[in-house]
Amino acid sequence: MPSGTTAAVSGLAFTPTAAALEAAIAFVSEHDERGGAVDAALRREALARYDALPAPGGRPSRGWKYDYANLPFDDLRWTSGRVEMPALPARPTARPATAGDVDLDRPALATENAGGLYFLGATHVDAPSNVDAKVTLLALDGQTVRDFEASLDGVLHEIVDWRADKLAALTTAFQNCGAYVHVPDNVQLDDPIQLIFASAPDDEAVFPHVVVVLGKNARATVIERHLGAGDPFVCGIVEVQAGAGAELDYAIVQQAGEAARVMFSRNARCEHDAQVRWHLAELGGALTRTVLGVRLDAPGGRAETSALFFNTGAQHVDLLSGVDHTVGPTTSDTVVRSAATDRGQGRYVGNIVIRPKAHGSDASLRDDALLLSKRAHIDSIPALEIAANDVKAFHGATVGSLDEDALFYAGSRGIARGEALRLITLGFFEPVIARFPGESLRDEIRTALDRKLDDATELDV
Amino acid sequence: MSTLGLIARDLRVAVDNKEILKGIDLTVEPGRVHALMGPNGSGKSTLAFTLAGHPGYTVLSGSASLDGEELLELPPDKRAKAGLFLSFQYPAAIPGVSVANFLRTARMAVRPEDLNPAKFRKLVFEKLDTLDMDPAFLGRYVNDGFSGGEKKRLEMLQLAILAPKYAVLDETDSGLDIDALQSVGNSVNALRNSDEGKDIGFLVITHYPRILKHVPADVVHIMIDGRIVKSGGPELADEIERDGYDAVRDEVAAARA
Ligand SMILES: Nc1ncnc2c1ncn2[C@@H]1O[C@H](COP(=O)(O)OP(=O)(O)OP(=O)(O)O)[C@@H](O)[C@H]1O
Ligand SMILES: [Mg+2]
Repeated sequence: MPSGTTAAVSGLAFTPTAAALEAAIAFVSEHDERGGAVDAALRREALARYDALPAPGGRPSRGWKYDYANLPFDDLRWTSGRVEMPALPARPTARPATAGDVDLDRPALATENAGGLYFLGATHVDAPSNVDAKVTLLALDGQTVRDFEASLDGVLHEIVDWRADKLAALTTAFQNCGAYVHVPDNVQLDDPIQLIFASAPDDEAVFPHVVVVLGKNARATVIERHLGAGDPFVCGIVEVQAGAGAELDYAIVQQAGEAARVMFSRNARCEHDAQVRWHLAELGGALTRTVLGVRLDAPGGRAETSALFFNTGAQHVDLLSGVDHTVGPTTSDTVVRSAATDRGQGRYVGNIVIRPKAHGSDASLRDDALLLSKRAHIDSIPALEIAANDVKAFHGATVGSLDEDALFYAGSRGIARGEALRLITLGFFEPVIARFPGESLRDEIRTALDRKLDDATELDV
Repeated sequence: MSTLGLIARDLRVAVDNKEILKGIDLTVEPGRVHALMGPNGSGKSTLAFTLAGHPGYTVLSGSASLDGEELLELPPDKRAKAGLFLSFQYPAAIPGVSVANFLRTARMAVRPEDLNPAKFRKLVFEKLDTLDMDPAFLGRYVNDGFSGGEKKRLEMLQLAILAPKYAVLDETDSGLDIDALQSVGNSVNALRNSDEGKDIGFLVITHYPRILKHVPADVVHIMIDGRIVKSGGPELADEIERDGYDAVRDEVAAARA
């Protein structure tokens, strides 16, 4: 083994207990000379918070079968470390067509000409990456935290409020992988940076912590992917800081394995005239819970949130978006499209807060849900809290089934009902897909949705 | 062959348990134009929807066939594949589906055998030109946010691209300005003068004789209260415009008495 690397040895059995945490702390100090990103004291504090905090949410529907207070953690391994990867071709070949097709030995890092970081389970696979030399792109570990203390100050552990979020507290306690991305002032990247989380062959408990810092007027696109055929428990944090005038597109394409559980708390903070655009395609996994937040802390800040999910089989998706307009004028635009068939269950909670000092702000929240089978269920719970005068706030929501007139119209053109249904359903997602960055990413999402339609068993109501 | 044509025989149709069509007999022959006129609510669109297979219409009795193929048992897409086209009075929107994608999907469904993408593209641009339509339409979502006139032009674009055996045009002329009416007329005539289109039989549902100036009718039928009460030559359309439907109603009443 080359120096400076640690093998991903078999790891520990995972349970969210004090004993398991002590074992994890010992494991890191023994096996990882760069050290963990979270020190032992903070890990212990975080586990205490995890124990003290109530589990999120209730059951939104009769068909909803998970209980966050009682998630089973059986047969999961916890590990932490890095392996070195044999050199990849400078420009990797075509990206995998589906999560199941991923070649785990030679991960294709690229959609286009992207550089990135790659994780197999919680193990950082140290591969050459062709990301722009001005960008800092590192695994988030103890050494990285020490080396970049100044730019992480006020960001790391501060943007996602883990003290008030049970799952984020769990991540902080057991953090075992992650990424640090820093784009300096005035650097504008053409190619996206990819963060790829592939499941390991054995089911792992993966606790990623991602920090993205954009300097003044910096511009970047980050694509976070979850893929692979394994069934991990992934519980992560993403913290974004966008400096004055910066623009970030952060896209998440979640295509985890069929029984995977994927939970993330993501929050961004925008300085003067900064723009953060979240794009989320929640496609895989058995249970996913995502929090997507933006805090608009300075005038001119703008948040765009575009999210879609499509639950087939017995998939459960819990999605919470929140925009906090702390000052004005700031703007936000949230668009969510969701569909469910078979026994799919979904819940969307959309929060907009316009605080007393946020005069002149403008917030729009629009969510539409499509139910394609009798047993599918989607709840939509918007909440607008407006404490400032002279603001504009719009909210619109629909839950419905397929438009029979549109189906008949397509039928009258020779398009069979099944095909019409597919066409109309894909069209339903298009307003959100259209906001994702890059045509190849958009096409990838269309293809993934199309495959999900193939897999759905109940498609008519 | 005697069964050639789009044929309705003693067609009785109910909506929500209310009988709307009370026995329709009609034959539209290949290459001929039949006009169907009648007051609001007389059942014209009901006939169009019934022929196209709308699930909301219950056939109480009678039959409908297209060149000998029974239509009533077929789902809407099979009727289109058999050669039927309906231009909707109120076309539905399909948000998120581009006109280009929809046209291609429809054409492939109705005629799976032919046309590579380059030829298809050429065909579409030709037809757009005939209809004075901006190619930018191809990138828009089907009927989504279209003006009334734009919707009708898109119906005619689909007619031209699908080139069916029989076309029912339900008030395609309503709500069109003079220029749009001219474009629609040109498009229909271009189709009728083409090899593919010369045998198309048309059922043109309208309230106004002006569309018939562009697409002359061979036969005009008058529908009142779910029945075709009178049929005649093109002059019948002008009579209706001049005298209204009351004269026809009186005539029918007198004949019954
Ligand atoms: N889906 C429906 N539900 C209830 N009633 C209906 C429905 N469709 C048609 N009808 C009724 O059937 C009758 C005939 O309607 P239809 O639309 O066929 O008339 P039309 O001749 O096309 O009229 P117009 O000239 O106004 O287009 C009307 O009384 C109408 O209200
Ligand atoms: Mg009508």
